[in-house]
Amino acid sequence: MTALERAIRRPPLVRGFRATSPLDGLDRRSVGFFDVFAQSVSAVAPAAAATTVTLLVAGLSPTATVTSLLLGGVLIILVARTISQFARRFAAAGAVYTYTARGLGVRAGLAAGASAIIGYGAIAMFALLGGAFYSTLVLRSVWPSLPDTPLVAAGVLSAEAALLVLVLVRGIRLSSRVALIVEAASVTLIVGLLIALLTRIGPIDPAVLLPSADDSPLTVAAGALVALTAYVGFESAATLGVEARMPLRTVPRAIGWTAVVSAALYVLAAVAQVSGFAAIGGDFAASTSPVNDLADAFGLGGWGVVADLGIAASFLACAIGSTTALSRVLFTMARDGALPAGLGRTHRRFGTPIGAIACAVPVVIAAPLGLLLSGIALPTAMHLTLVVGGFGYIVSYALVCVAAPVFLRRIGELTGRVAVVAIACAVALVGTIVAFAIIDVGSGSIAVWVAAALALTAAAAIAWRLRRAPLSALGAYDEPVAGAVLGGAAEHPVDLAPGGTTPGEAEASRDGAG
Amino acid sequence: MTDDLRAAPAVTARQPRAIHSALTVLEAVAELGPGVTARELSVHLGLPRATAYRLLNLLVADEYLVRTTDLSGFALGAKVAQLAEAVSPVRLPTAARLLVAEARTSLRAGVHIVGFEGARLVIVDEDPDFPLSDRVRLARDPAVFALGRLLLVAQGDTGAVARAAAAELGARGAVRVEHVPTSIGCLAVPIRDAHGHVAGALAFAGPRHRIVEPAAIISHLAPVAERIAPFVT
Repeated sequence: MTALERAIRRPPLVRGFRATSPLDGLDRRSVGFFDVFAQSVSAVAPAAAATTVTLLVAGLSPTATVTSLLLGGVLIILVARTISQFARRFAAAGAVYTYTARGLGVRAGLAAGASAIIGYGAIAMFALLGGAFYSTLVLRSVWPSLPDTPLVAAGVLSAEAALLVLVLVRGIRLSSRVALIVEAASVTLIVGLLIALLTRIGPIDPAVLLPSADDSPLTVAAGALVALTAYVGFESAATLGVEARMPLRTVPRAIGWTAVVSAALYVLAAVAQVSGFAAIGGDFAASTSPVNDLADAFGLGGWGVVADLGIAASFLACAIGSTTALSRVLFTMARDGALPAGLGRTHRRFGTPIGAIACAVPVVIAAPLGLLLSGIALPTAMHLTLVVGGFGYIVSYALVCVAAPVFLRRIGELTGRVAVVAIACAVALVGTIVAFAIIDVGSGSIAVWVAAALALTAAAAIAWRLRRAPLSALGAYDEPVAGAVLGGAAEHPVDLAPGGTTPGEAEASRDGAG
Repeated sequence: MTDDLRAAPAVTARQPRAIHSALTVLEAVAELGPGVTARELSVHLGLPRATAYRLLNLLVADEYLVRTTDLSGFALGAKVAQLAEAVSPVRLPTAARLLVAEARTSLRAGVHIVGFEGARLVIVDEDPDFPLSDRVRLARDPAVFALGRLLLVAQGDTGAVARAAAAELGARGAVRVEHVPTSIGCLAVPIRDAHGHVAGALAFAGPRHRIVEPAAIISHLAPVAERIAPFVT
C-alpha cells in the first residue's frame, strides 16, 4: 500500500487549522470565473479608458501613442504576474493590502491599505462623475433642451448612486452579474464602433503608428506612464478571493486576462484613432471627443451616441467594481483590527460587508456631488479624482511588488526570475510616480497637491493608530478550514458560524465575528 | 451556475507526464506528512524548484493540497479522498437498497444516504432520479445543507449553526434547511450506530414547502434510517 492510499484510508490527524475562516460572514465561494473577471474588467473600465486615456497619451505625442500604450501594457502584465504570486497561494479579500502586509509587515501593509482605499475610492468617484458626464451627453441627444447646469449633472449622478447602493447591498452575485452584463455591452459597443471605423479608414500607413524621429525615448516613456492609469484596477479581482469559487485558480487568471484584454483594446483604439486622424489630416490631440469626431468624419454619425452610451455604461460598471473592491479592503482591515470592528460586519442575508459599505458608499457619493454643486466643472473634477486615484493605485502596486520577493523568500519559494520581475516592476512604478507628479504639476493641476495632502493625512492616521494600541500581525486571509484538510481537526472549535451559509442560524454569530 | 466546472480544463492526453508528476507530488506529501515545505518536496522528488512550485500551486488551486496557515507547508486536502471514492464506491446490500427504493417511490423526491467519516461526508447512495443538486458544494461547504449541519452535530461542533441544528434534532429527530441556494429544501434524519452515535444520514431533498411541516416525511424516513443503519455504519 502506498503512503497516499494509507493516508486516504486512515487519515493522520492534522491540527493547526480552524473550524472557520477569519473572513467568515461573506458569501463564500459563490461566484465563478466570469464574475471575478468582470470585477477586474469593470474596475478598469476599458471601454471608457480606451477613448479618454488614449487622448491623454496622444496629448504628449500622437505618433508615440500606440508604442506608449503597448509599453504600459507590458509593465502591467508583469505587475499582474507579480501580484498573482500571492493570489495563487492564498485567497484574501484585501488584495494588495493583505499581500503587502504578508510580505512587509504592519507599517507597509497599512500604507498599501491606505493607498488602495484612496485608489478605489477616488476612481469610484471619477467613474460616477464620468458616468454623469456621458449620460447627460446621451440624454441631450434625445432631449436637446436639457439645460447644462451642475444641478442636472448632480441629478444624473444621484440616479447612478441609487443603483450603486442597491446592487452593492444585495450581494456579490447581483453586483458582479450587473457589472459583467454592463461591461460586456459597453466593450462590445466600443469594439464594434472601432472595427467599423477601421474598415472605413481602409489601408493604414504603418509609419503613422510608430514613433517618429521627433519623438524622444523620454516622450515614449512619459506616454507609457500616462497609459498606466488606463490599466489601474486590473488587480481588483483579488478582492473577491473569499467570494470566488476555486479562488486560487480563478483570481490569478482573471487578473492576467484583464491586463491582456485591456492592452489589446487600447491598442485597437489607439490604432483606429491615430490612423483615423492621420487619414483625415486632423489633429488627434486637439480633439475633445475623438471617437465622435471620427465617426462623423467617416459617415458613422449616429454611432457617436452609441459610443457615448457604451462609455456611460462602462463608467457605471467601474463605479460598481471600484466600490465593491473598496468595501472588501475596508472589511479586511477591520477584521485585522486596523479599523473599527464595526466595519467588519457582514449582512445577515446577503453576505455583503455591510459595515464597510455603509461607511464607504456615502463618501464615494457625497464627494463628487459636493464637487459638482460647489461649481467645479465636471472635466476638472474628473481630472482631479483620476489623478488622485491613479497615485493611490500605483503606490500600492509598487509596495506589493517589493513585498512579493520578501514573502516568497519567507515561505521558501522564491525563484530568481520572479524576484527580477518584481524588483524591475517596483523600480518602474516608483519612476512612474515621480514622472507623473512632475508632468501633472507642470500642467498647472492641483491634483498632485491633493494627493500629497491625502498621503500625509493617511501617514498621520497610521502613526496615530499604531501609537494608540500596537497591532499584531496583519493579513488575515481565507484560511483552509479543518473540513477541507484530509484528517483535519479544528484547533479551536470557536463560536463562529461555518462560512458560506445564508439561513437564519448563522446570523447572530456572524455579526460579531472578527 | 457551473462556471468553475466550465473553467476547469478538459482532460487531454497531451501531458500525461504532468499527471504522473502531480500524483507523485501527492504521494510525497502523504509520505513526508502534513506541514512539509515546497523546498523539502523538491529535494525529495529531485524536481527543479520552479517546476515543483508550479505543480504545488496547481494542486493547491484544485484543492487536492492545502497550505498550512503559515502558508509555507502543505497537507493533503479532503478532496483527495473524493478521488478514492470515485474509484471504489461504497455499495449497499440488496436488503437496504430495497428499503431505500421503497422510500424513494413513495416520497417522490430525492432520497440520499451518506456516511460520516471524521469531518467528511461520504455519499453512499445517491438518488438516481433526483441527483444531489451540487455535489461539489456539498463536499466543500457542507454547512449550507441539512446533511452538513447534521455532520457538525455529529462532530460535537459548538458553533451557533451546530447548536441550532442539535436543538432541532432533539425536538424533531431531524435537521432541516429551508433554502439551499434555490427553492429546494433539505432534511436529514440521522443514521445511528450501535452505540447511538450519529454515523450517517438519510436525506430528503425536494420542494421547500414539503419540509415546512416535516412530521410526515420524518415519520416515513426514521424507520428506514433505523433499519438500514447496520448496513451503513
